[in-house]
Amino acid sequence: MTTGLDQREDGELIEIILDAARRGDVTTMARTAAEVSEMTRNWATHIPWDDFATLDGADDELAQVVADLEEMWEPAYLRKPVDPDEEYALDKNAYDFYRPAGRNLLTRTEDYYGWVLARRRTETWQYSRVLEAAPGSIAEITNDLGRRTRGINFNSQDYLSFNTHPAIRAAAERAMRDYGPHSAGSPMVLGNTRISDELERALGDLVGLEHVTLFPTGWAAGFGVVVGLVRQEDHILIDRLAHSCLQQGARAATRNVVRYEHLNVESVRQHLVDIRSRDTRNGVLVVTDGLFSVDADWPDLVSLQQVCREYDATLLVDVAHDLGSMGPGGTGVLGLQGLLGSVDIVMGAFSKTFCSNGGFVASNSPALKQYIKMFGGSHFFSNALSPVQTAVVLEAARIIRSPEGDELRGRLFAAIDALRDELTTRGLTCMGEPSPIVPLLIGNEKLARVANRLLFDRGVLAFMVEFPVTPTGSSRFRLQVQAGHRPEEAREAARIIEGAIADSRAYLSSAFGSAAK
Amino acid sequence: MYDAIVIGARCSGASTAMLLARRGHRVLVVDRSSFPSDVISTHFLWPHGMSYLNRWGLLEQVLAVTPAQTEIDVVNEGIRLTGSVPAELLRAYFRDLHGDDSGVVRTYASIRRSVLDQILVQAAAKAGAEVRTNCTVRGLIVEDGHVVGIRGRTSDGQLIEERARIVVGADGRNSFVARTLGLPKFDERPRCTFAYWSYYSGFSLETAQLHRRGRLACAVVPTNFEQNMVLVWGPSEWSREFRADVPGNYQRALDFVSPELGELVRAQGTREERIYGTLDQAAFLRPLHGPGWVLVGDAESFKDQCTAIGMTHAFRDAELASAALDRWLSGGAPIDETMAWYEGRRRGQDAAAYYDYVCTLAEMRPYRHDELQLFVALRGNQQEIDRFIATHADVAPVSEFFQASNLFLLNDAAKETSAGYPIFEDFAATSRMYQQNPFA
Ligand SMILES: Cc1cc2nc3c(=O)[nH]c(=O)nc-3n(C[C@H](O)[C@H](O)[C@H](O)COP(=O)(O)OP(=O)(O)OC[C@H]3O[C@@H](n4cnc5c(N)ncnc54)[C@H](O)[C@@H]3O)c2cc1C
Ligand SMILES: Cc1ncc(COP(=O)(O)O)c(C=O)c1O
Repeated sequence: MTTGLDQREDGELIEIILDAARRGDVTTMARTAAEVSEMTRNWATHIPWDDFATLDGADDELAQVVADLEEMWEPAYLRKPVDPDEEYALDKNAYDFYRPAGRNLLTRTEDYYGWVLARRRTETWQYSRVLEAAPGSIAEITNDLGRRTRGINFNSQDYLSFNTHPAIRAAAERAMRDYGPHSAGSPMVLGNTRISDELERALGDLVGLEHVTLFPTGWAAGFGVVVGLVRQEDHILIDRLAHSCLQQGARAATRNVVRYEHLNVESVRQHLVDIRSRDTRNGVLVVTDGLFSVDADWPDLVSLQQVCREYDATLLVDVAHDLGSMGPGGTGVLGLQGLLGSVDIVMGAFSKTFCSNGGFVASNSPALKQYIKMFGGSHFFSNALSPVQTAVVLEAARIIRSPEGDELRGRLFAAIDALRDELTTRGLTCMGEPSPIVPLLIGNEKLARVANRLLFDRGVLAFMVEFPVTPTGSSRFRLQVQAGHRPEEAREAARIIEGAIADSRAYLSSAFGSAAK
Repeated sequence: MYDAIVIGARCSGASTAMLLARRGHRVLVVDRSSFPSDVISTHFLWPHGMSYLNRWGLLEQVLAVTPAQTEIDVVNEGIRLTGSVPAELLRAYFRDLHGDDSGVVRTYASIRRSVLDQILVQAAAKAGAEVRTNCTVRGLIVEDGHVVGIRGRTSDGQLIEERARIVVGADGRNSFVARTLGLPKFDERPRCTFAYWSYYSGFSLETAQLHRRGRLACAVVPTNFEQNMVLVWGPSEWSREFRADVPGNYQRALDFVSPELGELVRAQGTREERIYGTLDQAAFLRPLHGPGWVLVGDAESFKDQCTAIGMTHAFRDAELASAALDRWLSGGAPIDETMAWYEGRRRGQDAAAYYDYVCTLAEMRPYRHDELQLFVALRGNQQEIDRFIATHADVAPVSEFFQASNLFLLNDAAKETSAGYPIFEDFAATSRMYQQNPFA
């Protein structure tokens, strides 16, 4: 090995060589090259270190050497000017701002705001768009730069297209006339009306569980039931991808939280064995979504409920997305798995299929019902659903269980099948199972943000999800289908989406695909 | 006529040649270098890199002359995380990528390339590959758009011409194959680091030290010949000023990042070689394969040195590409199918997420407040420290560590607060100071 302290550093030598090359002094180049380290010579194999002496000063071989050495010796970013705003907007991630610095709570949010502004200026901010009219299968929207567009709408959650349904609108008007717009109190005080009780019964019938409690939002139902039931010394096993309201409820309730691998019943069993070997006195709540809202898959609830019973754990299933929109008679994943009436606790949200804010918790236990009304803060200490909301959800529940419900779900699934089929045929990856949520995998955030920007002007409205909704590096479009979508509309959207993704890949000159591994 | 000609006989090339030859294929591997010899690298091998060597039966030979450890110290702004890569995550890595998890070891090492590459070249020869060193490839033989062979020249001036069913470009960042075929670069990330390093005798360390402060970093790692590799790096924007006084700024950077390591090197260390350096580290990808050719190692994907992963990735490529080629050469499947399999493993979501992770780190921005607080929150949570280290080294997927519910839980489980760390005292002012080029 040729080593030595007396040898000059490569940078110094390369500068001499470059200088000589620019003058066409090949003798100096050759003499100096002999001193360049073996390290560098074996790495920069495109430089003809040994052949400098034979380079002709007039030849473009020499110019090539100069160009190659300069490329090696000048910072690369100087060669490729980028738009700093776009670079900043595309590179960061909401997580980068999770723990801001400083003791002033007002001013320390400004870093994050700077990033939001960069994303807005570069039109890569997918949030906070506003509607100009009712969100049907086509919608007209304005982005937060005030730019308007119109497109096939996969950006709204109204799986059975109830928002434009005459019977739903009529129910809202009737409630408005009978009770006015305001519930004027907590459900524990005087916030409920007679139709609230009716709604509880209707929901109970749908999930096969007798005792139902209403909450002002789905989020409140999830958070409320977890913090209402679980105490510091209890345990929670929660699917890694369960909805935010459940995750945050778990954090608020106990430090004993295990996030188990998505859908993995066997790992739940192992954690239960482990917990029960240490703790026979306290409770264990196992928490999962039915249809997962960004992955469109669901667990084997039969096995999960069985495992829970074996270890004296309680199962909570969030059916926000599947109840009403799929399964026999609109009974969702529970109905598909023959579990109506036999899951410990079921919660849901009205915001996806039932055309309103609101949520519920259901079980077979009147005691549990009274307990979470008292201790699940978001029921007691929040204003009740408005009469209009209650009436709308009640009417929605009626339609869902009627033959018309079956017909609407039939139309919904025709559109879903067309969309998934067209996307898959075009080589794109739809995750999960056929359901009103069609997650289209993108992966890299930059690619997703640029595709999202292109789609805005191409007539498709789709929500791009990234961290914190999905893990870093697995962003996707979440397409939410409605009964009002025609299959041909869905196919047309798929073609447009494919084009936008291909163009984004070319724009970023990216070679990464979207396959999972 | 060979089954395969491999151009380049180092981490990716010698390994690919060896694995193909072991499966009984006729392989020629050529390199313009002679061996043993050095190449630019700071030659740190993470545990999955070591595991590859073990899977191939070469680890013992390496360990006979190289110190190896399990625990590593990662110190950011004085926040020390000590941990190691868990066996379970290593096994999952090999299962996911290669379908079998044999041969996992948890140690890492820093192996001089003159030592390692020589072992690899000998192993390729022993496996039955024909090895020609001192032989530069100067042309590709292309027929009907297919690469079918090479033309080259040995150091004594002899011209050679050889043909094969496939030509493997294992010829590094400045790949001759890629340049000759005019292959484009994708996903270019021009912001990268400058790195300067040398070798010191006179002291010994229990564990590798990776330190970071502001926009600068240093690493001190025990290596062969009872020496330590001492490396400093920073943003390439500052390279010109750094170069004005390499030995002075090298020590200055060490002192700035870690006064203790700076003192150790100054007081007890004896420098044994000149200082080496480069800033030519902009990341990119190239197309992976085409008619008659396939790329492995740095030739297909180059990344900044800041996570010390290139050699391990070169080994990974060697295992993947040789498995794919073997299936085709032995008639198991058409080449398009086996190359698509290789591509699927190399260009998927996890690979993209890690590429982004490295490229972002390579910009060497001062750590953000939230990142530093995360490091504080990790302290005392050994399982998650280990998972973080495994994620940093591309053993575990980035997406599993950096996901909302995990990060929230890390906060909740925090045992320490930021109280004891001076960086948090006047964070804004310190961050501004860090933006100043100290070499200017
Ligand atoms: C500063 C720096 C520090 C690094 N530190 C680390 C680290 O700590 N850990 C780590 O894992 N990785 C590190 N890397 C990356 C690592 O060194 C590379 O990823 C690795 O060497 C790639 O191996 P390879 O076999 O693909 O290519 P190379 O090691 O570059 O080998 C290519 C070979 O091809 C030969 N060749 C080229 N052209 C021809 C031709 N026309 N004819 C014949 N032969 C030819 C060359 O002579 C050479 O021997 C570092 C990189 C840099 C720049
Ligand atoms: C699975 C799941 N649970 C609960 C909720 C919360 O429902 P809401 O929006 O009605 O508050 C949502 C919707 O965001 C959800 O997707």
